[in-house]
Amino acid sequence: MQNPRVLIVDDEKEFASTLAERLNMRNMEAVAVYCAEDALALIHTADHVPDVVLLDLKMPNIDGLQALEAIKQYDSSIEVIMLTGHGDRKIIEGISSLILDYIIKPVDLPELIKKIGAATQKRRAALPGAEGGTA
Amino acid sequence: MFEKLRSLMKILAIDRDQIEKPLTTYPRYKGFRRTLLLVMSVITLTPLIVTATLSFYQYRNLLKDEAEHYLRWNAQSTQKTVTYFINDIVTVLQYYAGEYTCEQLADPLTLGTLFVRLKRKHPGLVDLSLVDQSGIQTTYAGPYNLIGRDYSRSDWFPKAVSHETFISTAFLGYRDIPHFVVTVSKRTANQAVCGLLKASIDSETLDKFIATTKTEASDDIFLIDYGGNLQTSSRFYGNAVSGLFPLARLPNRGDVTLEYARSKSESGQEFRAYAYIDNTPWILVLVKKGYAYGEGWNQFKNQMHAIVIISIILVLVVVVRVANILVDRVRHSDAAREAIIAEAEHNSKLASIGRLAAGVAHEINNPLAIIDQKAGLMKDLMDISDDFQYKAKFAELIGGVQNAVSRCKVITHRLLGFARRMDVTPEPVMVNELIREVLAFLEKEILYRNIRLELELRDNLPTIRSDRGQLQQIFLNIINNAIDAVEDEGYVRIATTRQDAFLRVDITDNGPGIPQETMKHIFEPFFTTKTKGEHKGTGLGLSITYGLVTKLGGTIKVDSVVGEGTTFTVLLPLD
Repeated sequence: MQNPRVLIVDDEKEFASTLAERLNMRNMEAVAVYCAEDALALIHTADHVPDVVLLDLKMPNIDGLQALEAIKQYDSSIEVIMLTGHGDRKIIEGISSLILDYIIKPVDLPELIKKIGAATQKRRAALPGAEGGTA
Repeated sequence: MFEKLRSLMKILAIDRDQIEKPLTTYPRYKGFRRTLLLVMSVITLTPLIVTATLSFYQYRNLLKDEAEHYLRWNAQSTQKTVTYFINDIVTVLQYYAGEYTCEQLADPLTLGTLFVRLKRKHPGLVDLSLVDQSGIQTTYAGPYNLIGRDYSRSDWFPKAVSHETFISTAFLGYRDIPHFVVTVSKRTANQAVCGLLKASIDSETLDKFIATTKTEASDDIFLIDYGGNLQTSSRFYGNAVSGLFPLARLPNRGDVTLEYARSKSESGQEFRAYAYIDNTPWILVLVKKGYAYGEGWNQFKNQMHAIVIISIILVLVVVVRVANILVDRVRHSDAAREAIIAEAEHNSKLASIGRLAAGVAHEINNPLAIIDQKAGLMKDLMDISDDFQYKAKFAELIGGVQNAVSRCKVITHRLLGFARRMDVTPEPVMVNELIREVLAFLEKEILYRNIRLELELRDNLPTIRSDRGQLQQIFLNIINNAIDAVEDEGYVRIATTRQDAFLRVDITDNGPGIPQETMKHIFEPFFTTKTKGEHKGTGLGLSITYGLVTKLGGTIKVDSVVGEGTTFTVLLPLD
């Protein structure tokens, strides 16, 4: 199976970049961007859309919710895991049908890896001919 | 952000159980109770005592008036009786002297008949005789043989000769028995005196007479002559003739005279009434041993005392009970009011906690996530790199950072958990380390305000088992207070040491100090001196700190000198 492709979107540059680096060390293809605009641009132009987007809820300009909507509109198969500094359950519950899961910062890495793995598997299983493409 | 965190931690520290300190110990209620007791006692006891005193004197006056009245009445009736008795004898003698001739009266037979007749009417009559002008008793009718006796040397004789009618004072005479004589001059047809018709009467007869008139109004009743010599026997002053009554001066003529005089036999006053017996040399004397004496008076006094004492006791019991009830009511309503205030503050604080917690949690969690990731990456890189000189040391350091992050996570989760009541969860705590952690929260302010921080943390202090989070709150509160107290560029000194079975932490500042009056209330809930501006206090900080220290088995005390500074001393038990 191809390595999971992960896009990290968080205005906390240090956090996003370090997390990407660590995921890359664990056999993933992780890319970090620092605003929703960059993320959407990347999804539109990249050769391969990411399997999983780790999306921060609170960001300047376009926030996590708007970004989530745009991503899902573009490709509903992309799995999204929300990142949040606090457990705002009302918002999370409101978007629970659109996202796979949410994680409260600071992130517990083994837990995150497990969730990314599950998300990737779920997406690829849902894509017809995806297996064949890599074969 | 630290500012925000600090205020939030203060708010979170509200603990309802710790607010409810016993209110009974507050000195203001003691003062209130004392004043209440005093005022109520004065209000209730004053009329009681005034009424009792007035009643006492009124009753005494009543007794006095009554005693006077009865004594006067007794004196008047006795006076009448004695006068009547004497007048009767005189009248009879005058009749004999008028009806019978000198010769007839000189006849023993006739005189004897008259004696028997008179004796029948007045059994007290001893004898009846005729005494001639030279004082010789010529004729005698009576039980004794006294014919031929010479009375010319008797005291009464010269006076009797010079008066038509004469009544003598009491004397012993030949028979040696106290008696008195009544004489009437017997004249011939040509008005020449032929002799004295003389009747002797024992004093005892008068005694009996007087005794019949004696009532409870008097204790003693007797006759005296103008010299005070007793004419009848007296209970207090002796027998007739031999006894002497201390008559200071002659009473006024006319009606009954009343007088108070020092009692002869007992200490105290006695009450006397005097009345002249007309046509006799006698004064009637009645003695009452004071009006406010005797059975009735003592009974009244005892009853009065008993009633007053019982009333005072009852009043005091009621006053104490009522005061206690009132003070309790006031205290309870105060407590209820304080509880309502606390509740209101609590509720309004809970509302702001929601908003603040979200913000703070987000703000902290983001940098925390960065630290966590950086440390994680360092660990990852170390794991894949070869051994180098400080690899083990670095691994330890990174572990420390990750532990710190976990701890922060616990804190932010507590914030998010809306300050649920935390039970004491004992874990090994290095107090010096804990103080340094707490200072990390405050270091920005210390730096900005240029406050000199002196740490005298004793090395090798034993580890204590206590609740880390609550200890942090305790020291955060106290150190925060110290920083608030000092001026910019002031100093705060924190010293740790071991004292017997305790670990001692002293936090000293060179702030303005705390006045004695404030010191008393410093650990009371809702007591605050920070009433203005940004640092407006809730009045709960030190109360909560006190509660927490107590909960952890420690003690907290404060020493302060106005103008020099304040030292808070916390003693924490070593296991």
